[in-house]
Amino acid sequence: MRELAPQVLGTLVRRYGQFDACEDAVQEALLAAALQWPEKQVPDNPRAWLVTVASRRLVDEWRSETARRRREENAAALELPVQAHVADHDDTLTLLFLCCHPSLSVPSQLALTLRAVGGLTTAQIANAFLVPEATMAQRISRAKERIKSAGARFDLPPEPERADRLRVVLHVLYLVFNEGYMTSSGPVLQRADLTTEAIRLTRLLHTLMPLEGEVAGLLALMLLTDARRAARTNVDGSIVPLDEQQRDRWNTAQIEDGVALLTRTLGTVPVGPYQMQAAIAAVHDEAPSAKETDWLQILALYEVLERVSPGPVVTLNRAVAVAMVNGPRAGLALLGTLDNDYRMAHNHRLEAVRAHLLELAGEPVAARESYLRAARMTASLPEQRHLALRAARLA
Amino acid sequence: MKYMIMTFGSAEAGLAAMGKEWMLEMIQFMKTLDEDLRKAGELVSAEGLADGSQAKTVRFENGIPIATDGPFAESKESLVGYWIVDVDSEARAIEIASRIVAFVKVPIEVRRVMDAPPDF
Repeated sequence: MRELAPQVLGTLVRRYGQFDACEDAVQEALLAAALQWPEKQVPDNPRAWLVTVASRRLVDEWRSETARRRREENAAALELPVQAHVADHDDTLTLLFLCCHPSLSVPSQLALTLRAVGGLTTAQIANAFLVPEATMAQRISRAKERIKSAGARFDLPPEPERADRLRVVLHVLYLVFNEGYMTSSGPVLQRADLTTEAIRLTRLLHTLMPLEGEVAGLLALMLLTDARRAARTNVDGSIVPLDEQQRDRWNTAQIEDGVALLTRTLGTVPVGPYQMQAAIAAVHDEAPSAKETDWLQILALYEVLERVSPGPVVTLNRAVAVAMVNGPRAGLALLGTLDNDYRMAHNHRLEAVRAHLLELAGEPVAARESYLRAARMTASLPEQRHLALRAARLA
Repeated sequence: MKYMIMTFGSAEAGLAAMGKEWMLEMIQFMKTLDEDLRKAGELVSAEGLADGSQAKTVRFENGIPIATDGPFAESKESLVGYWIVDVDSEARAIEIASRIVAFVKVPIEVRRVMDAPPDF
């Protein structure tokens, strides 16, 4: 049912304009469907059913007196000029670009994308981000107002802007994935749904833009990373680092899927950072054991990544590869070049990597101090416990 | 990302030192602030705490937990209220705290809630 959400919304916006009102109406229609379909039968044409119910809600809303007044006040601003006949897949794409509009804050982009394109309810989104439902509802309605006042149109962004706008869409999907990429006990468990949703939406985007290498790259990166999910945490929710994971618990079907996608993509399109990160994830995933990891290849890939998309985090990761190929001292020397980089000043990962390399270099006292420093800096509780545990092992 | 914005001090001392006008303004200010944060979709929760003089502190003494009257910190440094906000950046959390500080004129602490996802 949820894959119909953006199609139904697209149809309504084309018919009536008014993205914000249509979005509310579709949400209500989806809720009605969730209540009615399991009891009665799923209608023959679920899409037509949703369009009809949502349209009726919209008309009801228009008829109410307050809405009429509001409509008159906003008459000029509400009209979203739309093209006449466009296929559904373009609507979905247009919606994605609209929800990831640059005038929105990142939390708003995430929330609106999950609702309008993902078809999730406000309650589900609020749950996943651990905020009250009323807060999430406000965030979504504020985001829609902002899109309206920014004068956004229900059209694909013009060609010269499209690459930049696509980068924002990919970043939003990446963040949704990232938010969900932790499996633990208790209230955080439901966040794993965000990972599934991010993969579903990125796959959808990939079918809409099959020739965009970075879309394929991001999808491959998600598949290849998520494939390790079951092995990544212990039963108590604590983190298992890559080199200690039980590789037979990795999802081989998903790895094959990701590798195949990457193989089809690499070399056919200009190379980009998501493709490179996916390629690195693939080398890890294809190693039968941590010992057999092809670090030479990983190092070469990080060198390419650093050329395509330079930055301190890439240098940090390359330092690990350098250490595995040329020894921990060489890795530590490269890390030293980041010490005065203001972008890393509050990043716990620099200290965490340094701690690991110091440990490999046989300096447990310095390693322990670095682990503790990293533990103080991180804003992730499972990571803090992991780092503190590593430090404790060296005491 | 979520941040906790904390105010410290003694409500009792505040009540005694400030006039009625100020108190009424303060109540209005807090109401408006909460409403603004709610409307912006940023408010996770906000609570005020009973005065520190009402607190009990439980300590581990001679092998057993013992409850005693009074706050853990000194009265004037005791937590009196907090907001948890879910915002785009640390800068935005500091902006919210600055608005509070400009009104109450006592220090406010801003601290990240441990809600970041761990690295890949």
